[in-house]
Amino acid sequence: MSARGAIQYLRERKGTALSVTLHILVLGWGLVSFSTRSVEAPQEDVIPVDISMDNTSQMTQGIKSGKKENPKPLAEKVAEAKPVDDVQGKVSKTDVVTSTSAPDPTPKPVEKPVEKKPDPKPEPKKEEPKKAEKKPDEKANDPIADALKADAKKPPPKQETKAAPPQPPKPKERTFDQSKIAALLDKRDPSHTAVTGATLNSNAALGTPTGHSNAMVATWKGAFVSAVRRCFNFPYNGVDSDQFEADIDINLRPDGTVASDPVIVAVRGPSPSVARALAESAKRAVMECQAYAFLPKDQYSTWKYIPMTFGLKDLL
Amino acid sequence: MIKAPSLTRRRFMIATGSTVAALSASSAWGQGRLKIDPDNFQPLPIAIPAFVPGTPADGQAGADIAGVITNNLRRSGLFAPIDPATFIEHINNIDVAPQFPSWKQINAQDLVTGRVTRQGDGRLKAEFRLWDVGTAQQLTGQQYVTSPEYWRRIAHIISDQIYERLTGEKGYFDTRVVFIDESGPSERRIKKLAIMDQDGANVRYLTRGTDLVLTPRFSPSTQEITYMEFGQGDPRVYLYNIETGQREIVGNFPGMSFAPRFAPDGQRIIMSLQEGGNANLFVMDLRSKSTTRLTDTPAIDTSPSYAPDGSRICFESDRGGRPQIYVMAAGGGPAQRISFDNADPSASYSTPVWSPRGDYIAFTKQGGGQFAIGIIKPDGSGERILTSGFHNEGPTFAPNGRVLMFFRDPGGNSGPSLFTVDVSGRNEQRVPTPGYASDPAWSPLLS
Repeated sequence: MSARGAIQYLRERKGTALSVTLHILVLGWGLVSFSTRSVEAPQEDVIPVDISMDNTSQMTQGIKSGKKENPKPLAEKVAEAKPVDDVQGKVSKTDVVTSTSAPDPTPKPVEKPVEKKPDPKPEPKKEEPKKAEKKPDEKANDPIADALKADAKKPPPKQETKAAPPQPPKPKERTFDQSKIAALLDKRDPSHTAVTGATLNSNAALGTPTGHSNAMVATWKGAFVSAVRRCFNFPYNGVDSDQFEADIDINLRPDGTVASDPVIVAVRGPSPSVARALAESAKRAVMECQAYAFLPKDQYSTWKYIPMTFGLKDLL
Repeated sequence: MIKAPSLTRRRFMIATGSTVAALSASSAWGQGRLKIDPDNFQPLPIAIPAFVPGTPADGQAGADIAGVITNNLRRSGLFAPIDPATFIEHINNIDVAPQFPSWKQINAQDLVTGRVTRQGDGRLKAEFRLWDVGTAQQLTGQQYVTSPEYWRRIAHIISDQIYERLTGEKGYFDTRVVFIDESGPSERRIKKLAIMDQDGANVRYLTRGTDLVLTPRFSPSTQEITYMEFGQGDPRVYLYNIETGQREIVGNFPGMSFAPRFAPDGQRIIMSLQEGGNANLFVMDLRSKSTTRLTDTPAIDTSPSYAPDGSRICFESDRGGRPQIYVMAAGGGPAQRISFDNADPSASYSTPVWSPRGDYIAFTKQGGGQFAIGIIKPDGSGERILTSGFHNEGPTFAPNGRVLMFFRDPGGNSGPSLFTVDVSGRNEQRVPTPGYASDPAWSPLLS
């Protein structure tokens, strides 16, 4: 109906007109008053990645106390003749990588779960890396896809660099998937994030010249702080807790263990003895919570030396 | 052929990638150090198995000593002793390293092992080692010898050692508390001067309760107490020697003398002397008996307390109307009021006492129908209330300035009890006493 016709219609029905007007007013008011400024998320480099890092640390620390029911799906595919190596070889040239910035490429931690995993034999070797890359695409694994969102950007660049090879095997993949999905699903869910966090990320980072390395530094810092915090416990019942600080420096070996006795660089606080006790407690915390094996090997140069300041903020 | 270019390209990308990585590594700490703060306040989990008996007869002593240490550390609020029933390893030799994995398994962060032996000469020897479970290191170890009846003091001294090694603060367990023991119906209370260990053990009565006694205070030397007693005439300040039991009147003043405290050097007593309807502060030298007037106001100046360096005193005065806290040079002169409650101008502040650390003055505050214990910095800033209720009064500091003791009277037919609380306001604990108790004063460290 035309505008004129609508107005005519409403004129004749005052009640309706009033109702319509009021509705418009209320909805308009709601639109305006309930709209909010987008809140800028606090600059936090810890939260989204922390989870994956923790699982990663559990995986790479498989030696210590990794969950036995958390096999790495990558490991699964990797199970054959170390597909991880192949992946690295195909995707990012392991050899070159290791010689330049990652002196310790460690398929080793991945191999451990490999021992426990039944090998999916039928899959051709060539397909393993594709599966690794295609992981985000598999629609069946929703929780995995969600967890991978953070890492989703990593596999795509890898795929871009070798767009040609993946295409042909794709249809073949599908047929195999039918029989394999159940087996894959069961074991993949718990640890999937971990694997992508460690292996894919490091490879991808190497493959892209910008951005990722900074993001990776920010990522591991948050995870490292969380790891040390778990062991850091200093009881203090004074009122001036926020005035105490201890600067501690550590050197780490590539496997994440502390290379030498942590150094107390400086202590600050109204009571020298308390500040000193805080520093010693911090040293013990760093030693007790090693090894920090989740730290990305290819970023070793950024974390071989870590300066820290331990404080008692918010203790009150 | 396709491979060659991609290899080259890949090499290039990796080279640039690792260069960027290297660059970002050097600039990774441009922003400064990683800041690490604790999640929240957590008492340290510590395991204290019974001390190994050096001879079969020492089994009870070994268990008792460990029990006193456990109780001390738990009551401090900074430690969480682990239930011995969960211990996996049984310590029977303290000269070999413990099996740390088994202590780690029960989440002990620290472990105390010890041994007690009755020697041939009848004296008791106690040794202990403090271990950090996480790094499998011994942090400290000591041994002590004493007469068997002082076994509790050894336990307190060991508690102080552990406390100091792990917190950096001096401990306060080897101390005593003098207080007023109260018994009988509220309208006819019998008040006796009493002394006990800070954990409530070894209670001893110093007076018989025939006369009313108030505000006992320790000398820095710990062997003397000064207090006020209502004798035949006016209330007087007395000096009491704990070891000999001797007591003497301090000074020969007309009128009432009350609210006495020792100067940090133990050679002088500061107190309040009544003058007509007023009361002013005087200091008396215990050797020369000479007296010096510190205030001269038409008001009631009372409850004086020295700063630990002896340079200033804080006291309570109603010269401004209601009781407030003032700070003044130890030799007298102008006094600055430091207590203010802008939200409640009718609030009154009383019983100030200066912390042995010098950083805070504790007080009783009355306002809004409540009695609160609080602390304030000597310049008047940083006031915080630690506990508030129907009645709380009379704070006294532990020697490390981190814990306060005070008394609380629920009113009615009941009577007062002693409580402790951290200066942070945490960890309020009741102090066990034989009966009702009030007016506590904490001694310096005995050792």
